[in-house]
Amino acid sequence: MDAEIYLDYNTFIHRLDPRTKLLVFLIIFIAVLQFENPLWLLPCVALVFLQLVIAKAWPNLRRIRFVLLVLTISSLVIWNFFANGATPLFWFIEVESLQYSVSRTLLMLTIITMGMIMVSTTRNEELVMGMIRLGLPYRVGFAISTSLRLVPTIAANTLIISQAQRSRGLNLESGNFIERIRKFIPLLIPVFISTIRSTNIFGMALESRGFGAREDRTTYLEIKMGKADYAVLLFGLLLVVISIYLNIAGYGNLTGLRRF
Amino acid sequence: MAEPVIALQDLSYRYRGTKKPALQNIQLEVGRGEFLVVMGPSEAGKSTLAACINGLIPHFHKGKFSGDVIVNGRNTRQHTVSQMAEQVGLVFQDFEAQLFSTSVELEVAFGPENFGVPRPEIARRIQENLAYVGLEQFRKRPPSTLSGGQKQKLAIASVLAMKPQVLVMDEPTTDLDPISKLGIFQITDNLRQREDITLMVVEHETEEVLHADRIAFLKEGELIRLGPARQVLQDIELMESIGLMPLGIPSFFLKAWKNKQRSGGSAGAGGTAPALPFTPEEAKTSFELSGWSLSDQKYAELVKQETQALKNSGQPLIRCQELSHTYPSGVKALSGIDLEIYPGEIVAIVGQNGSGKTTLAKHLNGLLMPTQGEVLVEGKPTREQGVFKLGQKVGYVFQNPDHQIFSETVFEEVAFSPRLRHLDEKEVKRRVEEALSAVGLAGYEGQDPFSLTKSGRQRVAVAAVLAARPDVLILDEPTTGLDYGEQRSMMEMVRRLNEQGSTIIFVTHHMWVVAEYAQRVFVVKDGRLYLEGTPRQVFAQEQLLKEAYLRPPHFIQFSNLLAKTMLRPQEMLDCLSGGID
Repeated sequence: MDAEIYLDYNTFIHRLDPRTKLLVFLIIFIAVLQFENPLWLLPCVALVFLQLVIAKAWPNLRRIRFVLLVLTISSLVIWNFFANGATPLFWFIEVESLQYSVSRTLLMLTIITMGMIMVSTTRNEELVMGMIRLGLPYRVGFAISTSLRLVPTIAANTLIISQAQRSRGLNLESGNFIERIRKFIPLLIPVFISTIRSTNIFGMALESRGFGAREDRTTYLEIKMGKADYAVLLFGLLLVVISIYLNIAGYGNLTGLRRF
Repeated sequence: MAEPVIALQDLSYRYRGTKKPALQNIQLEVGRGEFLVVMGPSEAGKSTLAACINGLIPHFHKGKFSGDVIVNGRNTRQHTVSQMAEQVGLVFQDFEAQLFSTSVELEVAFGPENFGVPRPEIARRIQENLAYVGLEQFRKRPPSTLSGGQKQKLAIASVLAMKPQVLVMDEPTTDLDPISKLGIFQITDNLRQREDITLMVVEHETEEVLHADRIAFLKEGELIRLGPARQVLQDIELMESIGLMPLGIPSFFLKAWKNKQRSGGSAGAGGTAPALPFTPEEAKTSFELSGWSLSDQKYAELVKQETQALKNSGQPLIRCQELSHTYPSGVKALSGIDLEIYPGEIVAIVGQNGSGKTTLAKHLNGLLMPTQGEVLVEGKPTREQGVFKLGQKVGYVFQNPDHQIFSETVFEEVAFSPRLRHLDEKEVKRRVEEALSAVGLAGYEGQDPFSLTKSGRQRVAVAAVLAARPDVLILDEPTTGLDYGEQRSMMEMVRRLNEQGSTIIFVTHHMWVVAEYAQRVFVVKDGRLYLEGTPRQVFAQEQLLKEAYLRPPHFIQFSNLLAKTMLRPQEMLDCLSGGID
C-alpha cells in the first residue's frame, strides 16, 4: 500500500544537507567501531536514538521490526562463535563473548537505525546529489538510490502475491521447518518475475527520459550547507576524534576477550 | 501531407529467441502535427512499433532489425535511446513502473536535467507542463499518492517537458477508469491542436480514437489498413475479424439501414447513403432524421423479462453488513457497505481507480477482514472461517496472473490448489482436466505457463482457482490487458461457468463488459456503495455515474438521449418501428 520510505516532515534532520547526513552516518559508524564494551557504546546509541526521535522516523523502524528482531537474536548468538572469554557462562557462551555480542548487535542496530533515519529524512534525489557532491559518479549514486527505491516496491508486490497464494489455499503458518521453506517457492518465483518485469520497464522508461544523454547534467534541486550543517559536522568530528583517542588510550575494551 | 516527421521504411523486426517476426515490412509516414492511432489485437506488434520509434528497438531489445526508422531526420540506428529522447517522448502503459521520483515536480524535472537544461528553464517547464495536464496543485506530492489517471498524466507531463517533436503513447489508458481515460484523451485532443507535436497512440479502445486523423490497423506484424479515422472505423466486419471492438453506434445504423433496404425502403432520405454517425449526438440526429421511433411496449417487455430473470431473492450467499475497513496506515478504504449477493448471480463491481472496489472484493473471501461490521458467507462471518477454509468456497482470481503463476507446467500450476487440500492424485488429475477444459486450455497440460500469452496466463490463473471447485468465483479485472476478441472469449467462458452453477463476482473498468454480462452492478465511490441495480438501471443514470468517474459506452449514451436505455444494438433493432420511406 504505502510504498514510500521518505517521510515528508520538516524536522531539523530533514533540513540538514544530504552531505551532512552521509558524513554523520560515516562518523557514527567509525565511532561505534572503536569499542568492544557495550557500556561505552551507550553515548553513541543515545545520540542515534535522539536523532530518531527528532526525525520522527519511528514508523519506518516499526515497519521492519520483525526483521530487526530476527537480526538481533541471531546476532546475539552468532557473535559468540567468533569470540572467546575467560569466564564461562553456559554451553559455548562466556561472559566476555556475550558482552561482545551485545556490543556488535548494538553496532548493527545503530547502523540500521542511522540508515533508516537517513532514507526517512532525505529524498532519493537529494541522496544522489549528496553522493555526487561528495565525489561519487552520477551513475553510481543513482544506482544506489534506485536499489533503495526498489525495496518498498518489492514489499508491496510480495503482499499481493502472498494474498493470491493464500487464497489458493497456501498456509504459510503450518508445517515443519523444511515444509515451510518449500512453501516460499510459490511466493519467491512470482516476486522474482514481477520484479524483473518491472525493472525492465523501469530501464526502458529511464532511457526514454534521456538518462545519461549528456555529461553536463543539471539538477533542479539545490542543496546548500548551512550553519546547522557545520555545527553538526563539528560536533561529529569531535565525537570521532574523542572515540579514537579513547580507544588508543585503552578504554572501552573487554579484558579477557579473544577474537578470532 | 506536410513533410513526414516519422518515416518507417520497410521496417521488419524479430525478437531474439522467437520464430515469428513481430513486424513485417512496415511502410508508414506520419506528417508533422498529425494524430495517428495504431490499433490491433494482442501480439499484433503495436508495442513493438511504438518501441521502434524512439530506438528502444534495436538498442534496448535485441533481435533482428531491418529497414529504417527516421524521426525528424535522425535515423534510430545511429542514435541511442537517450539521444532520441529529445525528439520522441514515450509514455508506457504501466504507470507504476515508469515513475521513479519522490515528488511530482522532480519527476518532470528528470528529463530536462538529463539534457543539461538550466535550472530556471526547468522550473518554467515544470510549471507549464503540470498546468497543461492539470496537476499544478500536486507539485510537491509523491507520485505514489496519485490516482492511476493522475499518474499517467504525470508521465505525459514529464515527457512533454523534454519538448519532443513526437509523442508516442503505448496503451496509456488500459488500466484506467472511464473518466480518467477521457482525461487522458482530452490531453491528446489538446495536443492535437498544437502544430508542433506529432502524436502516435497505440490503443485498444475504439470510442476514444474518433478524434484521430488517421488510424492504422496492425495484424500479425503487418500493416493491413491505414486511412482517415471515420473511414477505417466504418469497416466493422474487418474490425471484428481481427479482434477489434466495433463501435456500437455505426454498427447499429449499418444494420438498421440494411434492414430497411431489405424491406423496400431507401437507405435514408433522398436515396443516397447519409454519413454514418459515430458520436451519441450525431446518432440522435440521424435517428430523428430517419423518422424512427422506439416501441414502448417492446421496451417494457424487455425490462420485464430482465427483471424476472434476476435471482436476487431468497437466502443470500454473501452479505455485507455495515462493512467498513480502515488500513493500518489510517486510510479508510470502505465505509458502511451493505450488500447482498445471491446464489447463481453474476454481478459486477465498478468504480474509479482507488475507489475501494478491490478492497471490497478481498473481503468476500476473507483475504481482508472488516475493521467494523461483518461479512457473512453462507450465513457465517468470514472472521470465523478464515481465508484457508473460505478459499474452497470462494475462489479469487487476481488481476495480474503473474502474481500467482510459479510452476513449470500448466498441469502443476492448476494442481497446486487441489494438492494443498490433500486430495489423492487421481482426483487431482480429474480436477485439473475439468478446470483446463472449462477455460479452453485442454491439451496444454505440459506447456510452460510463462510461455503463454497474457490471455493464456489469465486462463491458467482462472483454471488454478477453479480446480478448488469453489461455488463463488471472484475475478479482479479479468479483461484488463486483453484485446476485444480475448475479452469476449474470457467473458463467454465466465458466463458458461455461471450457467453451470457458479456465482460470479467481477471487478472491472470495462463498461461494455458490464452491459453485456452482468445481471446486477454495484457502483463503489470513495469507499461507499453509491449505486446498485441492473446494468440498465445503473447506466440510465449517466449524471450520477459521471460523479463516480464512470461513463456508459457511446451506444448506451445514445439510447439514453432517446429516453430508453439499450444495452446492445440488437435490443434497439428489436424495438425499432416507423421510419420514412
